[in-house]
Amino acid sequence: MQAAIPLILNAMTLISILLLVSLGMAIIFGLMNVINLAHGEFITIGAFTLVVIQGLGGSFWMALILAPVVGYIIGLVLEKILISRVYGNPLHAILVTWGLSLILQQVIQLGFGSAPQPVSGPFPGPVTIAGVMYPAYRLFLIAFALATFVAVVVTFKKTRFGLDLRASIQSTEMAAVMGVNPDRINAHAFALGSALATLAGVLIAPMAAVTAYMGINYLARSFFVVLVGGAGSIPGVAAGSGIIGGLETLLSYQIPVTVAQASVLILAIVILRFRPQGILPS
Amino acid sequence: MNSGTKKDHLHSSRRLQVPTLIAVMLVLVLCVVPIWTDGYTLNNYRDILLLGLFALSLDIFWGRTGILSFGHATFFGLGAYGMAITTIKFGLDPAWASLAGLAVGVLLAAVVALFVGYFILYGGVRGAYFTIVTLALTMIASHIAIGWSSMTGGDSGLIGVPPLSVLGYTFYDPVSSFYLALGALTLCLFGSLWVMHGRFGLVLKAIQDDETKARTLGYKTQWLLLKTFVVSAAMAGLAGALYATGTGFVAPDMIALLLSTEVIIWVAVGGSGSLVGAVIGTAIVWQLQVKISSISFAAWPIAIGVFFILLVLVFPKGPGAFLMQKLSKLRRSGNGAAQ
Repeated sequence: MQAAIPLILNAMTLISILLLVSLGMAIIFGLMNVINLAHGEFITIGAFTLVVIQGLGGSFWMALILAPVVGYIIGLVLEKILISRVYGNPLHAILVTWGLSLILQQVIQLGFGSAPQPVSGPFPGPVTIAGVMYPAYRLFLIAFALATFVAVVVTFKKTRFGLDLRASIQSTEMAAVMGVNPDRINAHAFALGSALATLAGVLIAPMAAVTAYMGINYLARSFFVVLVGGAGSIPGVAAGSGIIGGLETLLSYQIPVTVAQASVLILAIVILRFRPQGILPS
Repeated sequence: MNSGTKKDHLHSSRRLQVPTLIAVMLVLVLCVVPIWTDGYTLNNYRDILLLGLFALSLDIFWGRTGILSFGHATFFGLGAYGMAITTIKFGLDPAWASLAGLAVGVLLAAVVALFVGYFILYGGVRGAYFTIVTLALTMIASHIAIGWSSMTGGDSGLIGVPPLSVLGYTFYDPVSSFYLALGALTLCLFGSLWVMHGRFGLVLKAIQDDETKARTLGYKTQWLLLKTFVVSAAMAGLAGALYATGTGFVAPDMIALLLSTEVIIWVAVGGSGSLVGAVIGTAIVWQLQVKISSISFAAWPIAIGVFFILLVLVFPKGPGAFLMQKLSKLRRSGNGAAQ
């Protein structure tokens, strides 16, 4: 039983990160049918926001507040000048966002160099849970990410913006007829997805190697979360994150990490064969 | 509907077409190139020919079915690593080790394509979804190539892949290995042109236009797509295996996402779907790539990124078609002024 506790908590760490990252991807995909291959770079941008703020003498908490703002603004700008031009053609969206991803990676690498950046998180040291030592920071991460996820879900259910967004995901035309400005909704949804990814980036940074390429590791995973869970559905994101994150952590205990990742991918492909619409479609 | 009328509608167009003519001229010129070219340059040309074969393999699938695979570096890499691991790790008799490596490389690529292709093509995954699933495939493949270092040599790869040896003849010197690459490319190029200009190519075109309609007419579209995908992957594997025998080593960048990205550009520059264009595109972009990479390591990925954005926003039909359009517009306005 004691051996299971760190396993469960490790799985929870990855799952809660995937929740944040995939939620953004699912919103963007569900609403605009755009698969944002630059989504991973927003994680990187979040982590580098932390690097810059700590380099200037700021604290982790400051970065945690500022990073989503940075992500939101960059998201708004990119949506206006680039992404809004490729709605309606998913292949074009892939090529454009992939090009964007390559450019962002290189620009970040040119600015900061290729060596991993030093960052520090709060709550150093472990705490004891049921007789097992576990890093306190990871517990904070799980709690914070889950709280953010719940907050976003509540925003979707209870606010006017959330209602407009859900209506537009079901039918952009119908929502537009009812007076929802599609351009505004698209722009803010894209920015919101980007902000969630940058927030995840700050949370990941203290326990990962912060380099220009760090985001790409989460891109494929979060895509499979969306695919396995069901595009454009919040319960789908939760289920997908649970399956992908849980399975990868579980398998990594028994077999090498790369093989575990490959196995999860294979499983996702097999699931696609039998449930192409995902487990919990919208 | 009886099959006679179906044949009337879908008659093959195996006349001598422009791409075929260009391909014939291209191969004829390439045949005499070694006469005046030194060994070092010839090795370069050999690499370009094999990368051109790789681009051709992508064009067969993407250009003819309209489904973009972001995973073709996986198949190229499987070919290269299959060849390297078979010839280096197992201590086989050198007389036939490289042939075994070739078989292993090509088979590995084909089997992986068959497995992945079966599940996603029969699962109804098309368009953008297909692109991302294959992209993830390359990510995982390159993770494995770097992570499984006892077998793949990890980050540094494997050195010491012997040149191809068939029945005691070894393609060792630049001239013979150039002709080997040219032979492989010629066979695959004319084979593909033959098939794609025939009935099979027409059916694929029908599937690209409207898969549901094609299926309603009685074509097993999923099977046809899978067949094309596997052949395309095997061809990429062949290119990879031969490439490894030429360079003598394999490294993780032969199975990396960047290579998957580059091959899309080679095909796009040549104009996707024309087959011979893929080879010409490879040659053009490769020269450019060498020049840009020599400026700075970061310059090339940025150039690729900018190219993708331009490709979509400025010339969605490919730079070649874009130029032709501009030229014909110029000519028309020139004629208009003359009248």
